[in-house]
Amino acid sequence: MGEFLAATWYTYNTLLYTVLVNGLLALSIYLTLACGQLSLGNAAFMGMGAYTAAILTMKASAPFGLALAAGGALPALVALIIGIPTLRLSGVYLAMATLGFGEVVRVAFLNLSITGGSLGLNGVPAKTELWHLVLVLGVLIYSLVKLRGSRFGRAWEAINEDETAAAVMGIRTTFYKVWAFAAGAFIAGVAGGLNAHFTFFISPREYGFEFAVDILTFAILGGTQTFWGPLVGSTILTVLPELLRFMGPYRLAINGLILLLVVIYLPNGIVSRNTFKKKADRG
Amino acid sequence: MKLQSKILAFTIAILSLATLSPAAEIRIGIAAAVSGPIAKYGVPIKNGFTLAAEEINARGGIKGSKIELIVEDEQAKKEEAINVFKKFIFKDKVLAIFGPTLSNSAFASDPIANAQKTVVFGTSNTVEGITAIGPYVFRNSVAEADILPKVISVAKRKLGLKKVAVLYGNDDSFTKSGYDVFKRAIEAEALQVLTTETFAKGDIDFSAQLTKIKSLNPDVIICSAFVEEGANILLQGRKLGIPERIRFIGGNGFNSPKLMEIAGKAAEGSISGSPWFIDDPNARNQKFVRAYSSKFGQPPDQFSAQAYDALYIMAEGIKAAKLTGNLEKDRTAVRDALAMVKGFQGVGGKFSFNENRDAEQKGRVLVIKNGKFSLYSE
Amino acid sequence: MFLQQLANALALGSVYALFALGFTLIFGVLEIITLAHGTIFMVGAFAGLVAVTRLHLGIGAAIFMAMLAAGALGWLIDLVAVRPLRKRSFHHLAPMIATIGCAMVITSVFQGLFGAEAYRFPFDFFPTTAYVLGSIQLTLLQLIIIAVSFGFMMIIIFLLHKTKWGTAVRAVAENRRTAALLGIPVDRVYQITSFTASALGGAAGILTGLSFNTLHTFMGVPMLHRGVAIVILGGMGDIRGAVLGGLILGFSEIMSVAYLSSDFRDAISFGLLFLILLVRPAGIFGKTGERKV
Repeated sequence: MGEFLAATWYTYNTLLYTVLVNGLLALSIYLTLACGQLSLGNAAFMGMGAYTAAILTMKASAPFGLALAAGGALPALVALIIGIPTLRLSGVYLAMATLGFGEVVRVAFLNLSITGGSLGLNGVPAKTELWHLVLVLGVLIYSLVKLRGSRFGRAWEAINEDETAAAVMGIRTTFYKVWAFAAGAFIAGVAGGLNAHFTFFISPREYGFEFAVDILTFAILGGTQTFWGPLVGSTILTVLPELLRFMGPYRLAINGLILLLVVIYLPNGIVSRNTFKKKADRG
Repeated sequence: MKLQSKILAFTIAILSLATLSPAAEIRIGIAAAVSGPIAKYGVPIKNGFTLAAEEINARGGIKGSKIELIVEDEQAKKEEAINVFKKFIFKDKVLAIFGPTLSNSAFASDPIANAQKTVVFGTSNTVEGITAIGPYVFRNSVAEADILPKVISVAKRKLGLKKVAVLYGNDDSFTKSGYDVFKRAIEAEALQVLTTETFAKGDIDFSAQLTKIKSLNPDVIICSAFVEEGANILLQGRKLGIPERIRFIGGNGFNSPKLMEIAGKAAEGSISGSPWFIDDPNARNQKFVRAYSSKFGQPPDQFSAQAYDALYIMAEGIKAAKLTGNLEKDRTAVRDALAMVKGFQGVGGKFSFNENRDAEQKGRVLVIKNGKFSLYSE
Repeated sequence: MFLQQLANALALGSVYALFALGFTLIFGVLEIITLAHGTIFMVGAFAGLVAVTRLHLGIGAAIFMAMLAAGALGWLIDLVAVRPLRKRSFHHLAPMIATIGCAMVITSVFQGLFGAEAYRFPFDFFPTTAYVLGSIQLTLLQLIIIAVSFGFMMIIIFLLHKTKWGTAVRAVAENRRTAALLGIPVDRVYQITSFTASALGGAAGILTGLSFNTLHTFMGVPMLHRGVAIVILGGMGDIRGAVLGGLILGFSEIMSVAYLSSDFRDAISFGLLFLILLVRPAGIFGKTGERKV
């Protein structure tokens, strides 16, 4: 029995790490969605964090914690800088601007020699352990719970509901929006750093348009009314391909079908505001 | 919620089924990208393995034991490659692993096989640094570094080359590392580079790059590309009026029969290099080409040929190893025996592993003449 | 060389414009971010390929078949994925996820049918004559694509502004509920628009496949990336914007390769997009609908 458990752990631990990292990413985009911003830049921020952390551990022998912190700080700084002009846009236009920004970042990764260009960075030391991921995720969830009742949480909700009205009421909308954007970038960057240190190798293509849309899908499918939604969404979508492995060539089709069915029957996401309320309390 | 419990039920069913796997013959894991855009390489690779395994099993297997191939789709994603490798090593308890398809995936998954002392044998990984991961990492995909310099020097000699234009895909490690090798060879041959242009994977229009190159009038155009882009480059180049006397020299993407299929007459005169080419008259290759074509309905390419040879090479190693039934010891025994394989006659010619477990196989310089690959030089 | 590069830009830009035409209709008029349009493009190309290689049809019939197949698929996607959402209240991005699911299913089916490798139209199927004017050279196909993009643009603009159907479409785009109250059959409008927009995508597919000789299951992916950029650049739902955006992108790509550095081509294109959006937040022709208090 012990051997079976050990074999199962070794077989699936990378999957578990990926689930946790995707949970972080889903939460990073949740922050921006919670105040009505549709950002598709989190894959690029993840990449920035991954490269920063990997370069620090590989070239400067930096301690892991420091590398991760830097991996979060750099994207957050960039987010602050581009956020202020960009967040004047809204809706799909903001999404497109962030996507465009992501493309510029990807091309930068491809052309800088320190990032290895298209050959990527190989030999990233394996430093990530389960407790790192659980700790970061735990701290994040705790912070989100605390933020919900704070002035940040209420400001974000007001902005999400109706930005113009919120501004009229005196809420500094730009401040709160940029804050959410930068916080999301920080989390995505840390997630990138953690991911790099259990997959040994990173390359620019992983942080492009496709993955940015995947992250968005995690959040929307899971439900953006509470922060549990993105966690549920990311977990299901990460584990699903593994579960469907036995379907062989039909895997992609079944995956697509499941996505379609879930979004049609649960269009506000799997987890909505009402999911945790007792039946009697539901409005 | 109902959907979630269905998924949970599935999971439990699958996990319990997996522990009931029957006692092994010789179990070998194949990690290949058989879905997604990379499937155009992964599927021929899988086919090559399948054909070889069938042939070996038909002759009684390896010392009486039949080969069981376990094929898993790694989708050309590094996390998937890692997951597949882990499944092979810990769940399926394979003797050795082939794959994955892309070098990028290999960088992520090979360290795992190496750490678990299980042979991982790449048949399509060409980027530098793969075998440096560790002593359990092997490959028979001939690195471009071993062929392209020969191609350049032969072409320079035969065509009297002085000035060249270079065109390569800068967003993929395969085409970029091909370019790096070309660049060193060009410098070694003291050729003058008129311009270096780039494109991205998936591009369909090369008119800007080709118009620029045409205006500079090089002696030859050196191109590191996948076959789809390469074929389009040939077609558009000729359409734009680049004359036939300005030939194209290509890396690994140019030695595929698909090039002629798409580019047709525009491919005439193109020069490339490879140990294996489909029109190689040697008997073993012709038998392979016929068997592959009839089984899979299309001709083999370099990926299928290398996979086919790889399984035979692995069979040599397993034959020479003393298998005791203890999985850990056997995996190491296979590794040691594999490293000693020398002089194996494959469809791509005589093959040995060098001391870095990389391929030692004579690369031939090829030219496309009358719609077929022929030897430009030995 | 400059003139030839300009011609190259016009030709490439028209390819992009043709794809963006259908895309902007769905995107802008129906306000659905459809990420299935790349697969519709691909389906049109393969439908044309099958028409030519298996049914031995000529070019006109092949294009018709491509448009029909793509249009039917678009109509099916609306029926299966988007209409159920219209019936309920939903997160405004839910249709996008539904189209992603559709794209996965379609891609899987076509990969099963055709594999992942590249196909091309038969060599002698369409003349490859090139027309030379001074130092410029363009092939017949390139000229056809340029003509077709502009032609379709005019036709769609005419349909949208001078016909009853077009008025209905614009009404639904403006405000779905009001349009319904006015008696406009909203579902029918969505269906017809999806069909038309997808048919345009299919036409783009077969013409691109014919001109560039690379048909494969994933051929729509790079087009989709660019399509999203073009539609937003030009202003969602604006037909002239789609064509102009396509031309701008084609121009930017060709010129950055020809005169700057091909390494930075995509950075320049998207950087340009980014800058334009900062100055014109709803795209070049877009209406911001901003509420200023």
